[in-house]
Amino acid sequence: MSQMLSPDMTIAAEAIAGKAKIEVKNLNFYYGQSKALKDITLSLPERSVTAFIGPSGCGKSTLLRVFNRIYELYPKQTAEGQVLLDGQNVLDRSQDLNLLRTKIGMVFQKPTPFPMSIYENIAFGVRLYEKISKSEMDGRVEQALKRAALWTEVKDKLNASGLSLSGGQQQRLCIARTVAVKPEVILLDEPASALDPLSTAKIEELIDELQADYTIVIVTHNMQQAARVSKQTAFMYLGELVEFDRTEKIFTSPREKRTQDYITGRFG
Amino acid sequence: MSEHTVASFDEDLGQISRLIRDMGDLAGSMVGGATKALLNSDNALAQRVVSDDAIMDARQRELDDRAITLIAKRQPMADDLRHVVGSIRMAGDLERIGDLAKNIAKRVGTVGLSVTPRDLSHSIDAMAQLVLIQVQGVIEEYAARDAAALAKLRADDERIDVKYTSVFRELLTYMMEDPRNITACTHLLFCAKNLERIGDHVTNIAENAYYVLTGTQLPANRPKQDETAMSAPAA
Repeated sequence: MSQMLSPDMTIAAEAIAGKAKIEVKNLNFYYGQSKALKDITLSLPERSVTAFIGPSGCGKSTLLRVFNRIYELYPKQTAEGQVLLDGQNVLDRSQDLNLLRTKIGMVFQKPTPFPMSIYENIAFGVRLYEKISKSEMDGRVEQALKRAALWTEVKDKLNASGLSLSGGQQQRLCIARTVAVKPEVILLDEPASALDPLSTAKIEELIDELQADYTIVIVTHNMQQAARVSKQTAFMYLGELVEFDRTEKIFTSPREKRTQDYITGRFG
Repeated sequence: MSEHTVASFDEDLGQISRLIRDMGDLAGSMVGGATKALLNSDNALAQRVVSDDAIMDARQRELDDRAITLIAKRQPMADDLRHVVGSIRMAGDLERIGDLAKNIAKRVGTVGLSVTPRDLSHSIDAMAQLVLIQVQGVIEEYAARDAAALAKLRADDERIDVKYTSVFRELLTYMMEDPRNITACTHLLFCAKNLERIGDHVTNIAENAYYVLTGTQLPANRPKQDETAMSAPAA
């Protein structure tokens, strides 16, 4: 755990156990001239679920987007500082972006299946990085769909369009697509906010299972969801990391008044 | 404490706080009334305490209903969650205090207590005053959000325990002096034990209130000294 903490942040270093998978050190992020992340320092433990919460515009999605450098798809967005993945700074210019994005997969708020068959939705990504036989690919698709708890629902219609699935199924298809390229970290940006409660429950069950093998980071506006699925929670406000602690602590007795005001609905 | 964005959330929490205060006031009046009725052999007052217990029970049921509904509707977090869960627990202790006060009141007028109870019950009177101060104090300090005072109040229960020990010894002496005192003294002994139990419930309330206010638990071990433990049967 890094000792480089910003003075106005409370972080319970001793409470967050486990080997760090991602270490963020003094990270600043700019949209043009506007500073969206202010000196963020935190450490995300391996094979564990970390939740980012905070009001809209607090920087939680921005922070997520720095981890796999997806922000570089847009102009005038710059990051300063360090984001270490297993000790390697992913912000280095020499970092191979394709390799980075196989290691760090991402699922978005709105399900984004490709306009192709269920099978191809998964095989497409795998083919970009690996050359494997048809039978190996069949196995990989099945394994990914099973991992995303979707196999039994789609195994008889793998050639149907991914777009024919329900919203909840589409989101699980996107998770299957992410899992298929064997990432180490999965970033989930509001993965269940557009889903009904049953689909949400399935996604949460899935997150629970996936954490045995992956380091998961979830951004969510649903505080009960953060409380249910994550082991540690970071509360962000106006681009600052206000408090980072065990989830149980954050939701029962947070240290910071700003955290308490936000999670109890007293903000502003 | 700033207000919630949803104003009706504050109203819901406020109603639970009001019920706790009402139950606390009622507990104080029941304990005071029961003791006074006992010492003065006042049957009418004792009867009022007995009937007040039904009000106490109804308040607890209302608080339970409101708390459960609030949890289902609002999914409270952090201090709100502690407030609601803590209130459910405090209401349980207040309801038990009501039961114990009723139990004291029901002994008023029973056989044996017609024999000059006042002569036998000086030290019970002093013990009851201590208990009454604790019962009234705990809800006041909680309402004033004074965690330090609650921690002190919890420690002060020790004085009730010490007093109970001395009451026990005193009543034992009266019984040995004159066997005709045995019936009355046995009743008084039960009353003293009930007062001591009320003190324990106040302790629980202080611990819960402290947790609600601070988010941290008081240390588990409070210095405890029960000198009657070896010689007194459990009442």
